[in-house]
Amino acid sequence: MTAVATRQIQFREALREAMSEEMRRDPRVFLMGEEVAQYQGAYKVSQGMLEEFGPRRIIDTPISENGFAGLGIGAAMMGLRPIIEFMSWSFSLVAADQILNNAPKMLYMSGGQFGCPIVFRGNDGAGGQLGSTHSWAVEGLFSNVPGLRIAIPSTPYDAKGLLKTAIRCDDPVFFLESERMLGNKGPVPEEEYLIAFGVADIKRAGTDCTIVSFGRPVHFCLEAAEKLAAEGIECEVIDGRTIRPLDIDTIIESVKKTGYCVVVDQSWPFGSVASEVAAQVYERAMDYLDNRVYRVCSDDVPAPYSKVLEQAMLPHAGKIIEAVKKATYLA
Amino acid sequence: MAIEIKMPRLSDTMEAGTLVKWNVKEGDKVEAGQVLADIETDKATMEMPTYDAGRVAKILCPVGANVAVGETLMILAEEGESIEQAVQSVGVGAGEPAAREAKTGGARQHEARGISESTSTATIMKSKSDAGAGAASAATSNGSDGESASGRMLVSPLARRIAEENDLDLNAVKGTGPQGRIIKRDVLAALGQDASAAAAAPSKAAPALSASAPLLITPTNLGGKVSLSSMRQTIARRLVESKTTIPHYQVSVSVNADPLLDLRATLNEQLASQNVKLSVNDFLVRACALAIHQHPHFNAAWKGDSLLIGEHINVGVAVALPEERGGGLVVATLRDADRKGLRQISAETKALADKARGKGLSLEEMADSTFTISNLGMFDVDFFTAIINPPNAAILAVGAALKKPVVRNDELAIGHEMACTLSCDHRIIDGASGARFLQTLKGMLENPATLLV
Repeated sequence: MTAVATRQIQFREALREAMSEEMRRDPRVFLMGEEVAQYQGAYKVSQGMLEEFGPRRIIDTPISENGFAGLGIGAAMMGLRPIIEFMSWSFSLVAADQILNNAPKMLYMSGGQFGCPIVFRGNDGAGGQLGSTHSWAVEGLFSNVPGLRIAIPSTPYDAKGLLKTAIRCDDPVFFLESERMLGNKGPVPEEEYLIAFGVADIKRAGTDCTIVSFGRPVHFCLEAAEKLAAEGIECEVIDGRTIRPLDIDTIIESVKKTGYCVVVDQSWPFGSVASEVAAQVYERAMDYLDNRVYRVCSDDVPAPYSKVLEQAMLPHAGKIIEAVKKATYLA
Repeated sequence: MAIEIKMPRLSDTMEAGTLVKWNVKEGDKVEAGQVLADIETDKATMEMPTYDAGRVAKILCPVGANVAVGETLMILAEEGESIEQAVQSVGVGAGEPAAREAKTGGARQHEARGISESTSTATIMKSKSDAGAGAASAATSNGSDGESASGRMLVSPLARRIAEENDLDLNAVKGTGPQGRIIKRDVLAALGQDASAAAAAPSKAAPALSASAPLLITPTNLGGKVSLSSMRQTIARRLVESKTTIPHYQVSVSVNADPLLDLRATLNEQLASQNVKLSVNDFLVRACALAIHQHPHFNAAWKGDSLLIGEHINVGVAVALPEERGGGLVVATLRDADRKGLRQISAETKALADKARGKGLSLEEMADSTFTISNLGMFDVDFFTAIINPPNAAILAVGAALKKPVVRNDELAIGHEMACTLSCDHRIIDGASGARFLQTLKGMLENPATLLV
């Protein structure tokens, strides 16, 4: 970053900049989804883009995820670079066959004849009292599928750099944003930059316990680390930034240093991203662990509608502090 | 080619053994069949013979080390092979201390075989414990912070690695983690590194607590640590298992011991020339065996969805071991006690007890009891209760025959009374059945002539 004071922009602006820059750079890129054009984006991510790029590249769709996801996949196979916006990843489930069975397998099943360079993006995780069916955190479910990439940024800076990489990627990318973070502001430089996939970011350095997280819960980890530091426990908070590929090397390096590991993940615990990270830590750093790996996930229940219950069900700083203390034998 | 001698599996349940003693040293010539070392398992201390002749090239396991089955304990050089060649072929540095990983090198793998009855090399089991260890109630566990309830030492992988890198014996480290797990801070404290940080860590996290707590438990103020013998671990494990999984209840009866003491005195007087001296316990063994005949459920074992009634009535007798030999207790088994006369019971019990206190009982001599007697009469104990010795259904706790004011023939008199307390597994034996068994037993003991026929 530059020495001059970096401008602060919102997460949604960072996403918009990434898409707009890539669309200016590459005429094959287009955006398609519900209310992305006339309404300027259901969450105002694509605000102003219709005006700049016109209706042939900013395309409103009917409420038909299965249809427009498939349309995008076909376009990608034929050489375009679609960005498909799901208003919520919860709605992607009706397009499961397209996004899980077609996109990630096309290159393999066509013997390399057809690639599928497509970005699916939208809000992931609990948006706040949206009920069980609209509060999906899909990373646990979708990271089980080979052939796709999953990016899950936690800051405007990461969001922009990762989305630009996603749009240039030759494989299908699932780009997981959060409704709750779209208004978050953060430093994003004017000049162009890209962030490679599979490179974690150490959001806070520490020596006493490694905390690994992805997406929105990274902020809860930082909050927990702040409070723990006041008690003399210095946590290292690693933001994986992409789940596939997973930057396990950075995690292992940190665990070897601290001896303790807590994984925080907003998916449900059974077969979660946290479970996978824990398994890989055991596989590669068993002899460096002074305790078992602790997981902080969403509770194993459908997301409640009640505000209080929903908060209780999701990972939060209190749960993370408790896990770190248990992991480090301080509780 | 060098021969690797590995930790043998000496029992079905053995996972690791403690090397108690080396009977040979590096450079010694050994013959096939020669005992190389004494190995303490979870059940007994046994001798480990070699099946090959050779010269001891390298001892890899220090005395006192607990070693997993299959790990190399020593390297034997074959005839015509130099010690250096042998060590080299296995790939262990000559100066390397106690390398315990199993090396494969060019060496022939040789696992010292376990004990089999047909082994003519007289593999004697110097048993110190178990099979029936832990019958009497007096044996309560001190527990240990270094071992879990299951008796296995818990160590975090990191702590184990640091200990290995520093040649630290983990048996000497006190674990402060959950279930006494040895963790990094414990090992560092034992190594004298960063011990202050280790001690400070908990208080750092909870300053309010340490300020108000009158006693901060740290590894430094807990006094001397005593490592547990395998027997002590076994007693702890089995008795916790018994007391926490078997629904115990007790029934007591007071036995008029006068007829028994009179008969015993008469018999002993007559048999003195034959060097026979019957003890009260001998009568008890015989009486219990005969009573079990009438109450076959007392010979049963709980199998979860069924009962297994023993074919043979094998009465176990709890034998306390001398304090100077580390204490503890074992249960010696008198097989088919119902088919043996008092004289035979007496002779066998004496022989087993002497052996238990001396070189120790074999696994066989401690196995298969179906009912146990724990007698603390020799300590003038009035009354006590005992913990069932799994998989038995019951155990009889016998106090001393003490002089007491008693009512005999509706008159107050002085007589000997002996308290017998039965602990029963309620899954197998209901209260009334327990009471009926004691009634039978009391009848026999108060009319001891029935025990002679």
